[in-house]
Amino acid sequence: MAYNVLIVDDSATMRALIRKVLVISGFDIGEYFEGANGREALGVLEHNWVDIILSDVHMPEMDGAALVRSLKEHEMWRHIPVVLITTESRPEVINPFLNLGVHDYIQKPFRPETIKKKLTGILGEAIAPDASETESCDF
Amino acid sequence: MLAKLKAVTFEVLETMYYLFPETLEEGEVVPARGPFLRSWVNIVGPQSFRIGLLVPQSLARKMAANFLGTNEEELSQPELEDILKETANMMAGAFLSKMDASGAFKLQTPEAQWLAAEEKGKRNPANRIRFEVDEELMELFVEKG
Repeated sequence: MAYNVLIVDDSATMRALIRKVLVISGFDIGEYFEGANGREALGVLEHNWVDIILSDVHMPEMDGAALVRSLKEHEMWRHIPVVLITTESRPEVINPFLNLGVHDYIQKPFRPETIKKKLTGILGEAIAPDASETESCDF
Repeated sequence: MLAKLKAVTFEVLETMYYLFPETLEEGEVVPARGPFLRSWVNIVGPQSFRIGLLVPQSLARKMAANFLGTNEEELSQPELEDILKETANMMAGAFLSKMDASGAFKLQTPEAQWLAAEEKGKRNPANRIRFEVDEELMELFVEKG
């Protein structure tokens, strides 16, 4: 199954790298979108369906935290999984994002297999049918 | 501190660039021709300091080509600067994580600067680590902010 991916990072080089790593990893990309900050990301979402968002933390205009807050306030976008791509793994940096509802984070430097495993795990969870609903189906 | 920084350098170069550095002892020489590209990240906190690296343009090209999977000839100077800035950023971030530094330490936006060979200068050996990377020189430094 192919997934639509949105990469948000103020560095065009980093966006290109993340895309390349996704391709190398064998992650099945449907449509690929990108934004240089949170505001551009929201603009992309206005017109396109996205399955997962990979976002930087520090960006001009609208940073990662502001982006996540906006997503969580929106009826359509609040369930889109967000994964942070960050240079840091210190709890003081990561925990506020997890509390905001970010699904997970990937620390740079990262390997293709790490990114694929994380994204597949998250999307697997996101699309897995609710067990209680499955049990209640009576064929 | 430098030992942790060294470990971080190996991790970043091997994982992101498929390059395998070797530490140079003091006095060991690797010929390096300019211009040089210097990138750094200021870390602000209870003690403010800066972590950075200095490489000749030729190595910056190799790193960028490996990083992006493109030909060295296709890369522009701003792209080389971007890659080096991102490298310094990754090293600084991984370093703080390895040091278990408190949240009071904040990474600033990475910066980069081109230097002619004569501007490269010499650093106090106590504050730098030199590597041979693919037969090129890379210098890593820590400075008080």
